[in-house]
Amino acid sequence: MSKLLSAFILILLTFQAQAGTSVIVHPSNSFSLTADDVTRLFTGRSKTFPDGRTAVPVNLTEAVAVRAAFDEKVLGRSSSQIKAHWSKLLFTGKGTPPKEVDSDQEVIDLVKSNPNIIGYISSENATGDVKVLLSVD
Amino acid sequence: MTILFRVLVIGLVLGFTSHAVAQVKFNGFASVKAGMTLGSDDELYKYTDQFSFKNESLIGLQFTADLQEKLSVTGQLLGRGGESYDAGFEWAYISYRVNDQIKLNAGRLKTPFYKYTDFVDVGYAYDWMRVPQAVYNLNFTSLDGVSLYYTSEFLGFDSSVLLNVGTNDGNPEINGNIVQGKLRDGYAMTWELSRDFIALRLAHLGGELTMSDPQLNGFADILTQSGFGDLADSLLLDEDRAKFYGVALTLDKNDWIFVSEVTQTKLADTLIADRRAYYVSLGHRFGEVTPFVSFEHINNSAKSEIYQDIPPQVPFYAPLVGAVESFKVKTEVWNLGMRYDFHPSAAFKVQLTQSEDKLTNEKDQLLTVGIDLVF
Repeated sequence: MSKLLSAFILILLTFQAQAGTSVIVHPSNSFSLTADDVTRLFTGRSKTFPDGRTAVPVNLTEAVAVRAAFDEKVLGRSSSQIKAHWSKLLFTGKGTPPKEVDSDQEVIDLVKSNPNIIGYISSENATGDVKVLLSVD
Repeated sequence: MTILFRVLVIGLVLGFTSHAVAQVKFNGFASVKAGMTLGSDDELYKYTDQFSFKNESLIGLQFTADLQEKLSVTGQLLGRGGESYDAGFEWAYISYRVNDQIKLNAGRLKTPFYKYTDFVDVGYAYDWMRVPQAVYNLNFTSLDGVSLYYTSEFLGFDSSVLLNVGTNDGNPEINGNIVQGKLRDGYAMTWELSRDFIALRLAHLGGELTMSDPQLNGFADILTQSGFGDLADSLLLDEDRAKFYGVALTLDKNDWIFVSEVTQTKLADTLIADRRAYYVSLGHRFGEVTPFVSFEHINNSAKSEIYQDIPPQVPFYAPLVGAVESFKVKTEVWNLGMRYDFHPSAAFKVQLTQSEDKLTNEKDQLLTVGIDLVF
């Protein structure tokens, strides 16, 4: 029974870990963004925030689980489709994919130090240093 | 091989020496493809009934050095299996980003005929094994010159305009013969509009073309000596106007992907036929697997008007008619295939192609399997 219970808790925790993705920016930013706005920024179709300032998206590497969740739930495409999209731009001189970092903490560090940066993290890792603009389950 | 070596050395030296001021990024793509035709006499896209790995296998390496915020240098080396992987620069340009919307490139660029031209070698970027060959068959794929790339919003659509001017010297293929070619005063205008699930692309290109084929030149000399100078002029492609028009439409909704492209090429004052071609493709994504079916069609009418007023008793009548009519083409191609994203950076593909020459009713069938990847 206790084994079953711990298995159940483990499953719950796993769900928790994959529970949500939060799009974050520097707390000084006062605009709001829709999922479509975020998609435009992370696919290179838009390069500015609603207030006109330059936006610098920061991505997570594919090794981080929340990357796949972000690609599928926020951008609405599989990671392969996103990669194919960037291949078209990268190898034709039309665009460069967002810089990739290895962990949520690195995203938080970048975001809190620069109001132009927009990133995303697992929702449970959000801290008071950053502002959550958008969360998806 | 020596070229590849030299360029790699240049690239690496550039990378090391500029380390302090410039960040050099390396990216690449590769394809390993193998195929064979299914009938013993069949031949298609250089494949025969002997299983071959080399025709469409390739590797590309791109390095970009950001010199300052707005200036960068990019080189893309490509080695093809069909050419023993002798690498050459497919792209080599400097780039100046004026602002978030405008980018200027100067150097060796691609001639942007078709929707997929710019990344035709990056198989990972599309679902097919290869871009539709009945349509994607024009020469002068590179353009040495400058381009302006402008992105903006237009009536709620994402708009990108690409303007190119440039020249090219190359060795294009006419009816299977490699000839000497020149493109002068080349220009290209393309406009892409996209919104939600729709993407539309319009293209217009033009220039003055010269193609010099010794055999044809010899024939033209004979005509001129026989007092048919005007006729000779109407055959040769010598600084003659060429125009290209293309429209492409993509619909991508609920995992259905529809792509179609219609193109037309017009060549003035030459025996080379005008070309009309199109393709349609429909695919559906089932998670990591995307099966598709596509149809390609090309129809080039020979310029029979060239010999219409020539009396059939002249001694060169038969070769003249033969030369003009050799440019008549009518081909239909069916493709059935699948892409499988088995890895985050690689896709496995399999495709069955049947090409039918509608003039001779000859059919060729080709089966190709392969892997496309990016790194």
